Amino acid sequence: MTETNHIRNFCIVAHIDHGKSTLADRLLELTHAVAEREMRDQYLDKMDLERERGITIKAQAVRLAHQAGGRTYELNLIDTPGHVDFTYEVSRSLAACEGAVLLVDAAQGIEAQTLANYHLARDAGLSIIPVLNKIDLPQADPEETARELGELVGWRPEDVLRVSAKTGEGVAHLIDRIIELVPAPRGRREDPLRALIFDSTFDPYRGVVAYVRVKDGVLSSRAKIRLMAANIESEAEECGVFAPEATPAPELGPGEVGYLVTGMKDVHQAKVGDTITIAGRHRAREALPGYREPTPMVWSGMFPAEGGDYSELREALDKLKLNDAALRYEPETSQALGFGFRCGFLGLLHMDIVKERLEREFAQELIATAPNVEFHVVRDGRVTVVHNPSEMPQPGTYDHVEEPMVLATVITPSEYLGPVLDLCQSRRGELVDMKYLSPERAEVHYRLPLAEIIFDFFDQLKSRTRGYASLDYEHWGYEPADMVRVDVLLHGEPVDAFSSVVHRAKAPQYGRRMVERLRELIPRQLFDVAIQATIGSRVIARETVKAKRKDVLAKCYGGDITRKRKLLEEQKKGKARLRRVGRVDVPQEAFIAALRVDERAGDKR
Amino acid sequence: MTAGLYVHVPFCLTRCGYCDFNAYAGLGDLAPRYVRALEAEAALWAGEWRDERFASVFLGGGTPTTLEAMDLAGLLARLRDRFDVAPDAEVTIEANPDTVDEAKLSALLEAGFTRLSMGAQSFDPLVLQSLERVHSPGSVRRAYANACAAGCANVNLDLIYGANGETLDSWRRTLEETIALGPEHVSAYALTIEPATPLGRKVQAGLVPPPNPDLQADMFGLACELLADAGYEHYEVSNWSKPGFACRHNLGYWERRPYLGLGAGAHSYRGGLRWWNVRPPPEYLDMVVVGVHPIGGEERLTPQDERLEEVFLKLRIMEGIAVERVEPKAAATFIAEGLMMRRNGHLVATERGMLLLNELVLALAG
Repeated sequence: MTETNHIRNFCIVAHIDHGKSTLADRLLELTHAVAEREMRDQYLDKMDLERERGITIKAQAVRLAHQAGGRTYELNLIDTPGHVDFTYEVSRSLAACEGAVLLVDAAQGIEAQTLANYHLARDAGLSIIPVLNKIDLPQADPEETARELGELVGWRPEDVLRVSAKTGEGVAHLIDRIIELVPAPRGRREDPLRALIFDSTFDPYRGVVAYVRVKDGVLSSRAKIRLMAANIESEAEECGVFAPEATPAPELGPGEVGYLVTGMKDVHQAKVGDTITIAGRHRAREALPGYREPTPMVWSGMFPAEGGDYSELREALDKLKLNDAALRYEPETSQALGFGFRCGFLGLLHMDIVKERLEREFAQELIATAPNVEFHVVRDGRVTVVHNPSEMPQPGTYDHVEEPMVLATVITPSEYLGPVLDLCQSRRGELVDMKYLSPERAEVHYRLPLAEIIFDFFDQLKSRTRGYASLDYEHWGYEPADMVRVDVLLHGEPVDAFSSVVHRAKAPQYGRRMVERLRELIPRQLFDVAIQATIGSRVIARETVKAKRKDVLAKCYGGDITRKRKLLEEQKKGKARLRRVGRVDVPQEAFIAALRVDERAGDKR
Repeated sequence: MTAGLYVHVPFCLTRCGYCDFNAYAGLGDLAPRYVRALEAEAALWAGEWRDERFASVFLGGGTPTTLEAMDLAGLLARLRDRFDVAPDAEVTIEANPDTVDEAKLSALLEAGFTRLSMGAQSFDPLVLQSLERVHSPGSVRRAYANACAAGCANVNLDLIYGANGETLDSWRRTLEETIALGPEHVSAYALTIEPATPLGRKVQAGLVPPPNPDLQADMFGLACELLADAGYEHYEVSNWSKPGFACRHNLGYWERRPYLGLGAGAHSYRGGLRWWNVRPPPEYLDMVVVGVHPIGGEERLTPQDERLEEVFLKLRIMEGIAVERVEPKAAATFIAEGLMMRRNGHLVATERGMLLLNELVLALAG
């Protein structure tokens, strides 16, 4: 155990691609935490998925030992997720630190996530060390970026640190500054144990492993522990530190960061933000502040694709949930898509990750409905939560609907300010404020409906600014909105999977697009198929797939009969793969393509 | 039940881009050996098919008329020696307009051929070009005149519609020219793109647009209309004839009567078994020469196969299929929609239904 005054707990916060993982690699190297031959890029991003996407989903904590002034310091680097979906998880990781390295690409300058992370870190009361990265790049503009960054955090530009995480230049100096500027943790051994869970994971052999920061007291292996929010007790099996691989330790003292094998089997019992204390008389009276339940913000129906198995999908979701306390799902039955699940996610990225893991790790082929937000339907002052468009009541049966809002921050080169404002305006946005970071770059705040954000907003933003704008947002409560449910009917039959809740003003445009797209996707049948978009009983858009007129083998003589029969058998197999909606046969691809939001591709920043 | 005898002649002067039949250009040197092999193969089967009465003989290809009239006459005589071919049998030979003159046709009629089936395809030079046919509209008229002059009383003209560039008007002119000649029989096929052909590859590569099914449907409708007006009966999806001139041999396929096929790639069917000869002519020759049945494969039809074949073959013809052989619910729907009708306890496809036969068959065969 290390004396608290020799401990420094810090994190690196940065916009995506500003070099956080590379800097972490250099820190590992400079402190000899990893043998040279074991070093690999993005060492801390363990999962394959993370490495490919270049993002960090799961927070990691690693202990680094560093000699300075004749003393050995224990540096705990706590890695944070870098995406708006995981803002709460970020806030808990920050709560485990006393300091933050605010890393900015000297060529890119401040981005939306730089700001979001900075504000989170500042609100968490952390000491912030501004650092310019990539100073070795020819296109870097350290002077200008240092000015912007200094202004943001209240430092003189010349004091802003400059490093190249790639070459290692300036990183040793950064370590010295971390020791100098990040306060040592406070907390006394004698006090009752309070340890913050800032992440938890499920290990198939060891059960639930919690990543913890001890605030007060001592956490020892084999302690009887109590989780204060969950209100459950368990016998700890082992505690230890990541150095960087898991290394058991007899105890974790105040200020220390490490892991705890909790002896629990369900990751939902050890939720991020909960406080661990000792069971029994010596337990802490008050939990650490800031705990909340993960709330899904985005919902989507997930159904096994053709030939897929509902029970297999359930099993896969059950397994995934072991590792993902934020994932929610409940059974859903769709007339068109059969048995599946309505799943709740923290955001689009979270949704994409879950989908991809289901497909990749569990070999599930899925049809996912277009994502939607959660609406509040208010009647006589009572609120009903609706997270499935097909459950949205018909107009006239309620007083009003409320939708979730966000406060969005966009940073854009000034030359694209017009298109950015146009986009936000067209998405029912309300300008909050706007300022220039420099003559070339502007920072805009907009209040926007979340429903608009999850509908290809990010891609639109990128395409209108040639990729230069960055976006971040925080949730901003619910507000009344004139939302209506648009249904899509095939040959008079509503297709539940195609129902959507949209703003009344946008319903005609939405309806038109859906029917036009479906007209391309639905194969011709033996009769004309009307495709209608409706609000209640009112038709707002209509297209027709004309009846098929010719489907016959022109020639069929002796030598051909076997082959022709096989052609028919093939055609029959193809038909078996169609899903029947009323009298209309719809290929699975039509569902997938129609439900895909245009070029949305998640907000993969 | 009578049987049909099919003889395949796999030689052509040139290969047409759309054709996926077992046919070869430039193998003409094999012809004399091939004729002898056909006779030898007939001998191999003579015993097993001794008790069948053949009501028809059909020489198809390829282009059978690339063979010498004498060889063809000799072949037909050998077949009559080996098998019980009815005295009044329909004996058809397929011909290319450029391969027949009056003398040859007279010789064939003399030898006992009773029916001539000619690949006219179109009377529009642009369409013939699009189909890569080497003959001209003029040579069709000439060949037809030769057939008449030779005294041929049963002539079929084959037509193809829906080639790239063909319009409804062009097709109308082709039909009118055909009707003006007055053959006893007309076959009109919607051009089908076969993937394993030069045309199929061009379509796949996007060099040639695929046929427009709606235009082909209109063309089919026009053929039905004009041919009916001219006194032709529409007795199969793609076949029309003057009364009494339906092709008995081909009806045998659709009525599921037995048939024996001789020659490279020829198919045979009897008693729930279908088998086929090896396709390459040299391989066929090698096997027959050593006295081996040149069989390339066979299949035993399962009851489901039989059912599907019965439905899809019988619905192609006027006779239709017995009501009790199909799914009643599907049948009722199709009748209500005007795609089928009832006649003498049978279900028959209407003109509109014929064009959608695949859909009908899949629903009716369950």
